[in-house]
Amino acid sequence: MASVTRWLRLPASPVEHSVEGRGFVFSGFVVAVLAIVLYGQDYVVPVLGVVAAAIGHVVSYRRRNSKRGFWRQAVLAALVFGALFYVIADSSLALFGGTLPQANFAILLVAITSFDLKTRRNCYSSLWISLAILYLAAVYAWDYAFAVLAGLWVLCLVGFWIASHHKRLNAELKGPARPVALMLGAALLGGLLSFVLIPQPSGVPVSPLVVSLPNFTAFKGGLESPALPLVQLTGDPSGATSSIDLHFRGRLGDAPVMYVRTGAPAYWRGLVFDEYRNGAWTATNHGYREMQPYVPPRFLPPAPPGNLGTFVQTFRVLRPLPGVINAAYPIQSLYAPVAALREDAYGTFHTPQPLRPGQTYSVVSFLPDLTPALLRAAEPMDQEHLDAYPDNYTIYGDPSSVSARASNLADEVTQSASTEYDKVMALTTYLQRNYRYTLDLPPVPAGKDPVDWFLFDVKTGYCEQFATAETLMLRSLGIPARLATGYATGDYDPILNQAVVREHDAHAWVEVWFPGHGWVPVDPTPGVSPLAATKFPSHWAGGGIARLIPHLSIGAPAAALGSLGVLAVVPPAIALALIAVLAYAWLRRRVWTARPRPQPGESELLRLYERLQRRLTRRRAPPETPREYQHAMGEHSSPFMGRWPEGPEGLLAEVTQAVNEGAYAGRWPDPRRVRDLAERIS
Amino acid sequence: MPWLFLLAWWVLALIVAAGSYAAWNRSGLSLHLVVRNTMPAAGSPADDLPEQLLRRAPIPEPVFEGDGFGLEVALHASRGARGPVWAVGQVGAKEVWVSAGVVPKAGWSRVKDLPALRRGPVAARGWRIHTSDPLGFFRGVRPTPDSEIALILPRFASLAGRREPRELEASLPVPRAGSGNELFGIREYRPGDSLRRIHWRSSARHGELVVREYEPPGVQSLAICLDPQPPTPEVADQIARIAASEAWDCIQEGGQVVVWAPGLEPSQSSRDLWSQLEWLARYPNHPSGGVPRSGRQEVVVITASADEDLLANASRAWVVGDVEIDTDVPFERVGLQWPL
Repeated sequence: MASVTRWLRLPASPVEHSVEGRGFVFSGFVVAVLAIVLYGQDYVVPVLGVVAAAIGHVVSYRRRNSKRGFWRQAVLAALVFGALFYVIADSSLALFGGTLPQANFAILLVAITSFDLKTRRNCYSSLWISLAILYLAAVYAWDYAFAVLAGLWVLCLVGFWIASHHKRLNAELKGPARPVALMLGAALLGGLLSFVLIPQPSGVPVSPLVVSLPNFTAFKGGLESPALPLVQLTGDPSGATSSIDLHFRGRLGDAPVMYVRTGAPAYWRGLVFDEYRNGAWTATNHGYREMQPYVPPRFLPPAPPGNLGTFVQTFRVLRPLPGVINAAYPIQSLYAPVAALREDAYGTFHTPQPLRPGQTYSVVSFLPDLTPALLRAAEPMDQEHLDAYPDNYTIYGDPSSVSARASNLADEVTQSASTEYDKVMALTTYLQRNYRYTLDLPPVPAGKDPVDWFLFDVKTGYCEQFATAETLMLRSLGIPARLATGYATGDYDPILNQAVVREHDAHAWVEVWFPGHGWVPVDPTPGVSPLAATKFPSHWAGGGIARLIPHLSIGAPAAALGSLGVLAVVPPAIALALIAVLAYAWLRRRVWTARPRPQPGESELLRLYERLQRRLTRRRAPPETPREYQHAMGEHSSPFMGRWPEGPEGLLAEVTQAVNEGAYAGRWPDPRRVRDLAERIS
Repeated sequence: MPWLFLLAWWVLALIVAAGSYAAWNRSGLSLHLVVRNTMPAAGSPADDLPEQLLRRAPIPEPVFEGDGFGLEVALHASRGARGPVWAVGQVGAKEVWVSAGVVPKAGWSRVKDLPALRRGPVAARGWRIHTSDPLGFFRGVRPTPDSEIALILPRFASLAGRREPRELEASLPVPRAGSGNELFGIREYRPGDSLRRIHWRSSARHGELVVREYEPPGVQSLAICLDPQPPTPEVADQIARIAASEAWDCIQEGGQVVVWAPGLEPSQSSRDLWSQLEWLARYPNHPSGGVPRSGRQEVVVITASADEDLLANASRAWVVGDVEIDTDVPFERVGLQWPL
């Protein structure tokens, strides 16, 4: 038993005597707390925590050589249990407001343990808890300013390492300034470049993130069906509506709606509509099932065959939104900080109340492997393969809502296509090529069907009209289709792997049923990839560059670069060469500027001296000093000498004297005096 | 979570940069160990020796038994500043550790005070120059060759006042600096000295007038014969102290001294105290050698054994310890304590 205890016991850690090291530990905590304050808008506990930690550090340093007393340890343990009670109570019951309970617990933990920072290991523990706090703040950080805080924390960690190491060596806390600065600079720059250029592996998430703000409101009544927000003109402040009427369209601004941190850019699907009547879409099936806030994979449809894995998305809501979980589909698992969730008949999840600003939820989605070859090989839908039809086919395949003219157009466009996929793509590319996208569209004239008006009259429209037209035309061909709404990817930041979704990213597209593959997103809106399935960037060379392209639409640029294959190394090679050239130019410039600038009068006098030598018809030999030259010229006869009234010796002696004073004593003559001498020469 | 990747990349880049730094930091360093100063203990000969004699010492800071000394550990960086660097090694039986955050190109040094060490050569053993990156992730070690950095000389004191058998000495001529023909040495000019005796070259070197002294006839020549195999190091120390004291008394009075032990290489017969002290500091660890040139010498034997051959030609003797000896030679018995 004793040997087991000994084996389990960590080796003794030395007492940390470095006051600078302890200062860095405290600074790391302050940086982490600052991040929580700035990004979590949490103030009371962080401020109290910093003050308590500061006192604790002073106490710990003064008592570092004393033995740990029983009662002191007991009090600290009691405080830790108190903090634990706080986090449990605040997380489950929101007793203290439910604001960042995990972060507050970590802050309290650091503050309490600051009174017992005796050894180096204790200091490390404090630093790692600070890192956890920083991580919690990072969940809420959506801008690059957070990198500054992260960098500061790393510098605190480095500072602790350096101070502790030097103290252990009993050496003064100094170092060769330039090499150390170079090392730190290279590390910071190298880390930053690696972060920017190398794609972050997504890994296989085991569950959604559960760091969220809780909301304990439960469902009241049946399932509402709020539609695409912001598009329709409704009285609901969140923009919710239960239908989409193509006769009207609201104005979409640039205000951010939500942030999405995602492993892959995707369409954030919300509601789905299946019935089109008189220019308006509605959902006919109001069935739902109620679920817990965490929806594990076993309650959701099985993984799509041949999928490429999963990726996590974390959504942070920025303005009131309908209670609809927008996410990449198909979903593998989901966590939303609400009392309960409801899944409607179309696979969309709803929250009890509209989503409020600051609310965060996260979703794990499958990455389907939908290639043209696979879809082209899908089973045909005919009477022999009834199991290939979707449920509720009577709605999805209802051709009655499309006009004969539109139906004829669909037949005409797809007459040469043999498979379902080819027909879908033929219609999609036809719409993308022959119709123009615009948001400045007048209201649909009274009595006109919006689809016919779009297809045959104005031939311009916005996403809903493109999607509606394609959906109805596909139905006329016997292909099940429905309208999906939600948001496009948004302004995708490839470095932070996050997207800022704005009002004008509200979008509508088509979901087409492919036997064996289910509902496949297809987008007929011009300018985007027709097959709107989510894709990872192909491989790292292509992907790394693709991630640098802002406004990345799904798959297209990544696929373009990925298709380069080995040649995809060319763009990064060019970028590296450019960086090398710029660095070389910068270094050269630095060398040039490092040279001492000529003092006033210096270059003028030396030019004058050169001129004088030319006039005297003999130049100073390299080993000859100015004075030797002067003496030599006293014995030398030059035809030019006679031109100077004061005699050549006087002028040459004066210039030689000035050159000597400048070159050896650093006293260069005033430029005016040089000009006087020059006038005398000429 | 991209920020975690950023932190991870930074930490990884730091580790790589620290590794490169550590590799760079290893080069161009050298270690030098020098005795910088001494801290004479009470009764140390260093306090009593004349300044001129100390100035003539072949080593800048002679260290005697019982004296502490300051060891200067110097690090030189030939290829520009380095750091952190630390050096660890043994001086005698004591481990010494010095560390520097930065070693500038001009060099860096620290003086470490070391306690009194035993008579004999002081070896610097197992010294290693350690380097690392500032964060302490990667380390480098470079061993340096062992070396002798100091020689702890035996303590001594004039025994002139305590010798009992003075009658023996009374018959001997007292060597004194006089005006004979053989050059005895030089000394400072005193009023009344002949100007012909001024040694101008030495005067110029010393910055004061120095005159030659000539040796009078009949100078004392002392041979100190030591026990070649002292039973213990403590006995050897005591023998060396007595011999040094005898030599000091003789040289102080202008005589010549040679120290030897049967079977060991003798010291150079000289009026230079330092060469005798150096020989005695290493006693009895000398290479084998012959006997000193015989001449008109007084022979003093210092022994801890009853070796009759050793005492055969002795004028007088010191016996260290309780060994029984049967001899007609006048001797004095002493223990291991010092001063006597």
